[in-house]
Amino acid sequence: MVLEGLAADPTLAAGHDLLGRIRADEGDDASAMVSWRAALGCEPGHLGALKGLAFLAFRARDYATAERHLESASHRAPHDASLLTALDRVRAVRPSVHDEAREFDDPANGLLLADADGMRLRGGLGQDAPGAASDAAAAEAGGLLREATRNARLLGLGTVKHLVIESTDARFVVCPVRPDAALMAYRTPSTPTGRLVAMAQRAAGAAEKWLEEMS
Amino acid sequence: MLQRWEQLLSDVVAIPGVRGASLISTEDGLVVAEAAMDELDGNDVAALVSALVSRATRVTRAIHAAPPRLVQLAGDGGTLLGMLADEPLWLVAIAEPGAEIGRLRVLLGDLAGAVT
Repeated sequence: MVLEGLAADPTLAAGHDLLGRIRADEGDDASAMVSWRAALGCEPGHLGALKGLAFLAFRARDYATAERHLESASHRAPHDASLLTALDRVRAVRPSVHDEAREFDDPANGLLLADADGMRLRGGLGQDAPGAASDAAAAEAGGLLREATRNARLLGLGTVKHLVIESTDARFVVCPVRPDAALMAYRTPSTPTGRLVAMAQRAAGAAEKWLEEMS
Repeated sequence: MLQRWEQLLSDVVAIPGVRGASLISTEDGLVVAEAAMDELDGNDVAALVSALVSRATRVTRAIHAAPPRLVQLAGDGGTLLGMLADEPLWLVAIAEPGAEIGRLRVLLGDLAGAVT
């Protein structure tokens, strides 16, 4: 019946969402993922699809991806208690020591490393940000950190540890990695600031090791 | 109006560890009101924070995000916190290491709505 409905109207996000649930219940995670991605294609930010993809990622023990999907969903539905509970659950089971290099290499994780000239070295700013947007952000990151360093020196704040920028729809943390590189971590406002700072600082440590290996 | 703003700022500097607070205009980089900024030149603070906000705005624009409403610069010698009040006015506080930054963020957020 669902397939017939989708044949009649293939742009019906709810239909793809329902099909995703049926396939996930059958244990066919690959097909469920296709359905939920199709739902997002029809309706970007579809809550059911984001929850479904988070569920699949959780079942595959890909906790970083699960957390990211849930954060996107909770940004759209900030008062949905079930989402907040699911986020807590994912964060609780996420290993305390991550495979940082793997996380860093996936642009969807929202971690971006730029050199002092504003060139992107690794990462990107999320699955919704095209490469050009990440390159543009990298181009600005170096200048932003230089301005922060100048502020800190002239205002007696010492050496810059990190810079937090918040808007109504985005949250960034920028950390110096070395004098010649800056790391930017980007998430939706549903990510607590302290947590994002911790993520950025940990990623900056991993980036520093990577830069040392490169040089 | 100025007296009311200075009263708001005095609430900010009442938090232990806050070195000073000011209300600045990022449009022209000038200080509008300030409290307990004895050790700092208010005009310098206004100019520097305006430049920082301008840079931050360029980053948010690069990824098509909304303009910044909060900027927090943490150094090993203290923290600068800026909160958008009523464009182009920003509430700014400078705190020593160990100050209650979380409390300061909440207070600036509350006071930002009172600046009109």
